[in-house]
Amino acid sequence: MTLQVLDPTNETAPPPGQLALRPAGLAGKTVGFISNGKEGTTAFFAHLDRMLRETLGVASVISRVKSNYSAPADAHIVAEIQGWDAVITGIGD
Amino acid sequence: MQLTSKAYDVEDIWAVQEFYHSKGWTDGLPVVPPSPDAVQACLEWAMMAPEQLVGIEPVRGVAITAEKLAINAVMAGCLPMHFPAVLTAFTAMLQPEFLLHGATASTGGCAVFVVLNGPIRQELGAVGGFNALGNSDRATMVIGRALRLALINILEVRPGGIDRSTLGHPGKLSFCVAEDEEDTTWLPLSVQRGLPAGVSAVTVMAAGAPRQIMNEWTTRPEEILETFAAEMRANLRHYSLHGGNYALIIPKQLREHLQSAGWSKTDIAAFIHERARVYRREWAEVGKGAVVRDRGDSIYPALGSADDLLVIAAGGPAGGFGAVIPPWLGHKSRAVTLPIGACVDCEPPKQ
Amino acid sequence: MTTRFASAAELMARVVGFPGYAFAVIPHPISSAGDDGLRDMAAATIAQARDLLLRRS
Repeated sequence: MTLQVLDPTNETAPPPGQLALRPAGLAGKTVGFISNGKEGTTAFFAHLDRMLRETLGVASVISRVKSNYSAPADAHIVAEIQGWDAVITGIGD
Repeated sequence: MQLTSKAYDVEDIWAVQEFYHSKGWTDGLPVVPPSPDAVQACLEWAMMAPEQLVGIEPVRGVAITAEKLAINAVMAGCLPMHFPAVLTAFTAMLQPEFLLHGATASTGGCAVFVVLNGPIRQELGAVGGFNALGNSDRATMVIGRALRLALINILEVRPGGIDRSTLGHPGKLSFCVAEDEEDTTWLPLSVQRGLPAGVSAVTVMAAGAPRQIMNEWTTRPEEILETFAAEMRANLRHYSLHGGNYALIIPKQLREHLQSAGWSKTDIAAFIHERARVYRREWAEVGKGAVVRDRGDSIYPALGSADDLLVIAAGGPAGGFGAVIPPWLGHKSRAVTLPIGACVDCEPPKQ
Repeated sequence: MTTRFASAAELMARVVGFPGYAFAVIPHPISSAGDDGLRDMAAATIAQARDLLLRRS
C-alpha cells in the first residue's frame, strides 16, 4: 500500500552571500579580531597580533571579545567591522 | 488547505523508516509517516494555516512554519491534540532569551526541558505522577520528541553538524513533565512565573541531565532542601560556576513535609538561593585549580535571584527522592514560559 | 577553526549562504594548550592567512 509522506526539513535555501573584496596586501592596514573569550584565546590572539605586524606589516590590530561566547558577535562589534580592512575570528575551544 | 512541502510516494511503512533514516530525518527511532491528512489534522486542530509563521530562529534567520512543525510532530507520534503544546514550546524556544542556536549547537549537550501546566494536562492525559522524568505517559513523550525532531529537521541540528554536543544526554530524545497541580498546595510553575491561574502553559529550559537526590531521614524542610542545595553546589563545582535557572522536581513524599511546615515555593526558592553557592577556590578540590587564579574568594551562587528557581511538583507518591535539573549555561539561556493558544508578541524581532 | 570544529564551520558557512567558504584550520584544543602551543597555532593561522585574506593577483 503506497504511502504519501512529506518532507520534514526546511526546504528553503539561504540567499547566497556576497564575499567582500580582498585587499592586495595587509601592509599598513587594520585587522580586527573577534574572540569568543574562552580559555587560551587571550594568549593565542596576542601571538597572532605580533605575527601579523612582524610578517605581514599590519599597522593596527583591534581586538574585540564577544559578550556571550555562545551567541553571535554583539551588534556594536559587527558595526565596527566596516572600519577594518580584514577580520579574523573562528570556532573552537 | 494547501500544503507546500515536497511529497514522496513510498511503498509501505517499512520503506518509510528506511527512507527517513537514510535522509537523516530521524532521532534513530521509528517515525510515524507524516501523511498530508495527518499534518492537516494537526493544523486544523490548532486553527493555523500551513504557511503561518511560528517564529524565526534569530541567529540564522530560519523561518519555522506551522506546516513544518506539524510534520515533525506527526513523525514524533503526536495526535492533533498534542500539537498546540508543541507549537507553544517551539515558540518559546525561539524567544531571544532562550538562545536556541547556542543551546542546541553547544558542546555542552543540553536538552530542552519542558513543563506543562494547566487544564491541557487533563485534556492530554499528561500525568505528573509515577516515572515523571521517564516514560510517564504518551503525551509528554511525544511532545518532547516532536521538539527534537523539529530541531533535527528544520534547523539541521544533527550530531557532528550543527549539534556539537560532546556527550548530550537521554533528555535529548524527550524531556517533558506535566506538573502535578492537583496533589499539592503550591501554586503551579506557570503562575509562579507570572501567568494567570487556570491558563494552560508551557515552560522550556535549556537543561542538563537530571540529578536524583534522596533524603528520607528527616521531615525538616531545611534539611530536605539542604540535600537539593548540596546537589546544586556539586553542579557548580563539577560542571559550571555560572548561575541561572535551575529546576527542582519535588515528589509527594518530600513535598508533604515541606507543605505541612507551611513552606511555599517562594520560601523554598529563598532558602535555596542562600544555600546553593560555592567559592571559586573550591574548584581546586575537584581538579580545576588551574583556573582559580587570584579569584579564590569570589562567591558563585547557583541562582542570580530566588526567582530563577523553577520548583515543580511531580513524581510518584512514595520515595524520599527529588531531582535537580541544572542549566546548560545559566547566564546565557533563560527559561521561557508561554500560555498555550495566545499569540504573544507575534511579530518577528526587528533588526 | 580548530580541527574538531571544521565540520561545524563548513555547515554554518553553507546554511548562511557561503557554501565552500575557505578558512584556516589549526590544532584543537586551545583551552589547555600551553604558550608554546598557542604560538604554534598562531603561526599556523598566519601561514594560511595569506591565501585567505589577500586578493590573488
